[in-house]
Amino acid sequence: MPSTVCSAQASYKKLPGLLELTPSHLQWTKAGDKAPSVKVPHSEAASLSRSKVGAAQVRLKVGLVSDEAGHNFTFTSPQAVALAEREKFEAELTNIIAHNRTGTAAPPPGPTLAAATPVPGTPTSARPRPLGTSARPTPQLSRASTSRAPSVASDPRGTPVSDPAHDFRLRKKVLLSTPDLAQLHRELVMGGQISENEFWEGREHLLLAQAAAEGQKKGKPGQLVDPRPQSVDGEVKIVITPQLVHDIFEEFPVVARAYSDNVPEKLSEAEFWSRYFQSRLFNAHRASIRSSAAQHVVKDDPIFDKYLEKDDDDLEPRRLREERVDTFIDLGATSVDHDETGNEKDVTMQAGKQRAVLPLIRKFNEHSTRLLDTALGGPASKRRRTDNGEDRIAQLDLEDLHDNETSAGILLDMQDRQRYFDGRANSATDGAATGPHVAFREALQQTKASMAGWSSNLAQLKLDKKAADSALVGMTQNVASRLDVKMRKHDIPDGLFRQMTTCQTAANEFLRQFWLAIYPPPSESQTLAPATPAQKAAKAAKMVGYLGKTHEKVEALVRAAHQEGVDPARVKIAMKPVVDAVDKALEFWRAKNAKVLR
Amino acid sequence: MKFFIDDLPFYPTKRKLIYCSRTVPEIEKALAELKRLMDYRKEHAETEEQREKEASFYGIGLTSRKNLCIHPEVSKEKKGKVVDARCRDLTNAAACQKGRENPGSVDLCDWHEELGKLEPGNLIPPGIWTLADVLQHGRDNRVCPYFLVRRMMPFVDVIIYSFHYLLDPKVAEQVSKEITKDAIVVFDEAHNIDNVCIESLSIDLTRPMLDSAARSVVRLGDKIDEIKKTDASKLQDEYMRLVEGLQEANDAEDAFVSNPVLPEDLLKEAIPGNIRKAEHFVAFLKRFVEYLKTRMRVLHVVAETPLSFLQHLKDITYIERRPLRFCAERLQSLVRTLEVNRVDELSSLQKVASFATLVATYEKGTLYPLAFVLSAPADWPAGFLLILEPYETEAATVPNPIFHLTCLDPAIAIKPVFERFSTVVITSGTLSPLDMYPKMLQFTPVVQETYAMSLTRNSFLPLVITRGSDQVAISSRFEVRNDPAVVRNFGSILIEYSKIVPDGIVAFFPSYLYMESIVAAWNDMGILNEVWKHKLIFVETPDANETSIALENYRRACDNGRGAVLLSVARGKVSEGIDFDHNYGRAVIMFGVPYQYTESRILKARLEYLRDAYRIRESEFLGFDAMRNAAQCVGRVLRGKTDWGLMVFADKRFARADKRAKLPRWINQYITETAANLSTDMALTLSKQFMRVISQNPNENQTGISLWTLADVEKAQAKQRELALEQEAERRAAAAKGVAANGEDDDDDEYGDGGLDDAALGALDLDV
Repeated sequence: MPSTVCSAQASYKKLPGLLELTPSHLQWTKAGDKAPSVKVPHSEAASLSRSKVGAAQVRLKVGLVSDEAGHNFTFTSPQAVALAEREKFEAELTNIIAHNRTGTAAPPPGPTLAAATPVPGTPTSARPRPLGTSARPTPQLSRASTSRAPSVASDPRGTPVSDPAHDFRLRKKVLLSTPDLAQLHRELVMGGQISENEFWEGREHLLLAQAAAEGQKKGKPGQLVDPRPQSVDGEVKIVITPQLVHDIFEEFPVVARAYSDNVPEKLSEAEFWSRYFQSRLFNAHRASIRSSAAQHVVKDDPIFDKYLEKDDDDLEPRRLREERVDTFIDLGATSVDHDETGNEKDVTMQAGKQRAVLPLIRKFNEHSTRLLDTALGGPASKRRRTDNGEDRIAQLDLEDLHDNETSAGILLDMQDRQRYFDGRANSATDGAATGPHVAFREALQQTKASMAGWSSNLAQLKLDKKAADSALVGMTQNVASRLDVKMRKHDIPDGLFRQMTTCQTAANEFLRQFWLAIYPPPSESQTLAPATPAQKAAKAAKMVGYLGKTHEKVEALVRAAHQEGVDPARVKIAMKPVVDAVDKALEFWRAKNAKVLR
Repeated sequence: MKFFIDDLPFYPTKRKLIYCSRTVPEIEKALAELKRLMDYRKEHAETEEQREKEASFYGIGLTSRKNLCIHPEVSKEKKGKVVDARCRDLTNAAACQKGRENPGSVDLCDWHEELGKLEPGNLIPPGIWTLADVLQHGRDNRVCPYFLVRRMMPFVDVIIYSFHYLLDPKVAEQVSKEITKDAIVVFDEAHNIDNVCIESLSIDLTRPMLDSAARSVVRLGDKIDEIKKTDASKLQDEYMRLVEGLQEANDAEDAFVSNPVLPEDLLKEAIPGNIRKAEHFVAFLKRFVEYLKTRMRVLHVVAETPLSFLQHLKDITYIERRPLRFCAERLQSLVRTLEVNRVDELSSLQKVASFATLVATYEKGTLYPLAFVLSAPADWPAGFLLILEPYETEAATVPNPIFHLTCLDPAIAIKPVFERFSTVVITSGTLSPLDMYPKMLQFTPVVQETYAMSLTRNSFLPLVITRGSDQVAISSRFEVRNDPAVVRNFGSILIEYSKIVPDGIVAFFPSYLYMESIVAAWNDMGILNEVWKHKLIFVETPDANETSIALENYRRACDNGRGAVLLSVARGKVSEGIDFDHNYGRAVIMFGVPYQYTESRILKARLEYLRDAYRIRESEFLGFDAMRNAAQCVGRVLRGKTDWGLMVFADKRFARADKRAKLPRWINQYITETAANLSTDMALTLSKQFMRVISQNPNENQTGISLWTLADVEKAQAKQRELALEQEAERRAAAAKGVAANGEDDDDDEYGDGGLDDAALGALDLDV
């Protein structure tokens, strides 16, 4: 198992246990258990929040990408220790989350590395200092994450994780995500019956898929940055977390500017944030038009009001962009195509009547554009200059008006083609003389003759009563027996049933390995280091050994069934396909060996 | 939809094709498609001669100066009006003359000057020129693209421009005057043509406008005084000209105030004596503006006919109807004589003059022959109405008076088009119900056809969601639209669809007001936060350019795979002319029925008029209008047979059979009974199922169903010919009996060959 970066005593859902941070996961193990019951991969961590300093309990909450609610941990050590522990966790997690947000997953540690070395100490400078309702945010934090960005960016491809199929971490992930496979793995590999590599041979596609899924760059989450006050213990508060600060700086550069201008000379960290959230600037940034209701709590603030811009609520946007868009979607061109005529639109159709909404709408558009630009790397205008003609035609093209394209086919390359076709032609002409000259007329007449009087024949058709009855009875029985099977399905005791399943899956796996060793690999790309024939033969022999035992196992099962009071015949029937398959394989093997010997 | 062109070159006599579309993007698309077509034809021409003929084919598109200007300073102006005015200053005849005689004395536009040096009729090599091409050509050869297009118009085979250039008399007089009678006029996407007609004859006046007009009058007065001192002969010349009558050859290119009334309604007589002298005319204008200002002080709503308005005007100010009719023309003459620069500053005065001319000309709505008007009952509805609204909304307390002169009858504006051109084609993918249009526009269709969509698979799925998952009925009806339950249910539809639909989703709301309030409400309810998780959100804004950029980013997001939601408004800027085909729109959600605002007085007047004059019931028209817009919105999702999309109608009123019957048949026929009354969760299940099936490879063989081999075509043609013969025989029989089909055969020539015009087939086939 990978080593831990840090660990602490913490309770989760009121159960005591151990919280650990490993290089790849955040996990919590219930006291007394072996396997962690909560396990969060780093890439899942999306947000972090914590109880405030001085609160009775020291808590840490980790929000997940897929699940906002996330997990709540309470540190159970004595207060002072708990605080220190939490700070450590917080520092590490903040980095991890910052990573996730910049769009790349935390660097996947190499398989060998994960086994031995702990991750080198992460910068502790990023640790937030607790301060009133706000956390010390950290210009360092943003610096830390930006300075790290280049190395991270090069990471997915830069560090050659030699071979995804051999990546231990990937295998583990695949196993974790598919319980069935994990079960099989536990039995066969951990049970020592086949080796790890053998097990994965033929399952490379799973690993590749996993690797591809991980390699996919995660975009920024789309939500607007909109800190909303929550009421905690009757007080209305905005909880600031380090990522929130990070997000605010990114979304509203003006706040970052204000921060660098004023902190720490003029304002302390805490003052800065508390004043910001009471300022008009914050209200302007909020994605809500209800801010007018909060107008009375807003105070004049000489520092923040400097950064305030006028509301962007005119019909024309404040920031006019000169760039022209493609004529095909240029709405502006239409509006100036001719003088305005006619009566003015009725009141519901006048755009921008509710001026308070306009800044909100503009914020949506800008936010979306910003997200898009970060994902695509640059605004649209640059790209537009370069492509033109092709793109426009493509927009007009109606795919369905194209001819059906038929591929030219591949020329069959063979010797003496000319002679072959000549021969064909000759035979064809010969055939033409005889073949198609079936006397249609005659054939038709014959058919007609044979069909004559069909209606009377049909009328004379009589069904034997007995036959009909028996057919019906047969059908009824069939249905009844099926129903029977359905009803009786689950009277096999659980234990026995599980044993049967295990036996079956194990046998299947052996069969798979066996045939894999016998037949040539399906395609060269998927397998790694194709085994030599000798290795293959050895493996096949080994598998035959295992397969040979299947009969015994089934016998044992039948006996067990007898003891449990279940009809042994049913177990036999259930296992018959497997036994047949095994027999087949064994027979094949014997035949092959015999051939070799002879 | 642009396959009309296909047939055109076959006509032996060179008939011009005037192709009208609604928006600049559509004009550009039509041109680009035409260009592709002609390239193809050139490539595949059978003989050398043929090829030459194809190569000499001209096609151009016209739009405003603002869109076509390449002058480095003028083109920077943001407003179209200002561009127009500055361009006129640089290019009008007087300035040009002065500039040429005395280089450097006046600023002239180099591009325009360069153009003047070229041989007329050969300003640009033959071929199809899209707007972008013309601009590029202008830049390369340093000639003005706008005037190039304007001057080439008499020589080209195909002209593509927007409806207004033909329907709005102010523009049509300048632009479309020289087009010959035998030209073929096509109105594409004409489902809203009645609105364009009405708009082109309606005018609004507001208080600030009147103030500005008054200032302009003063400015004109000063200018007259000044000219009197320096160059009195100029005014005298003008006076003499006016005495002789107005038939001066005015160069239409730099006309400033063009006449707002239709050509046939123009009086071919001299300007009345009392406004011939410049100072008299200025005094006259001053009086008129003052009168309007006084009217605006009234604090209650007034609706009156032009006749009563004129009567009142006469009683108070002694202004007669006749001089009023010449107001616009006289102003134009004066402005030209005075050589006023920056005429955009006079635009309010221009509006007032147009208003005056319109009111005085259409006191009764001159659609009907005079004899009829005189004998008509006194309560015969007038085609025009004047409405004074002192307050913007019911609730407003600060007066912001608007004087509407509103045209109620679309037939008035389109009538000259029908009269002038022998072949007029009105087409759209969403003309439904078809018989509404002849009724409203007062014409007798010669050929009226609906073409079915030929799809090999059901490539779209219309769904009517009538209630949310909680079974609360959803509707945008005024009483319930702001009900939190309805808003939440609308929101959950958006959330759920943003979860399951790939790439782009477009959502339409019935009005801007509603969209704005619901966006705010959704945001506060946290609904948009859910949507953000799955897709980016873009919203239509009041500014067209801003919306274009949002639209572009929306498409980038769809291309990129991130997916996005576009919130916009039916009848808004986005709903017309922008395709959301393929990944740009996998689902369209129509939140609510896009009814017009029924409290609007203008709409009320129009409804009343439709009822009285054409026997169209109010509810019928409202329903028709709402459904054509809904169809227009959802129809954007589909383009071509390989495309697919969901069409979600979210309102319980869509479930009503009478509403659905008004949808175009190609949509309506796919609404199954089960899909006509769904709750959100049921709709989602159906949608998922549909998407699973439709996402399969579409490349099955379509031959015989939607693609025809030559044999199929021949078979169909033979059948049609037979049918036509039969009809012909019947008609003859009918005529023999004396039941003459009146006016039905005047322009049969276009479809005369009896075979199905596959151009027309193409026109309606996939026009979505």
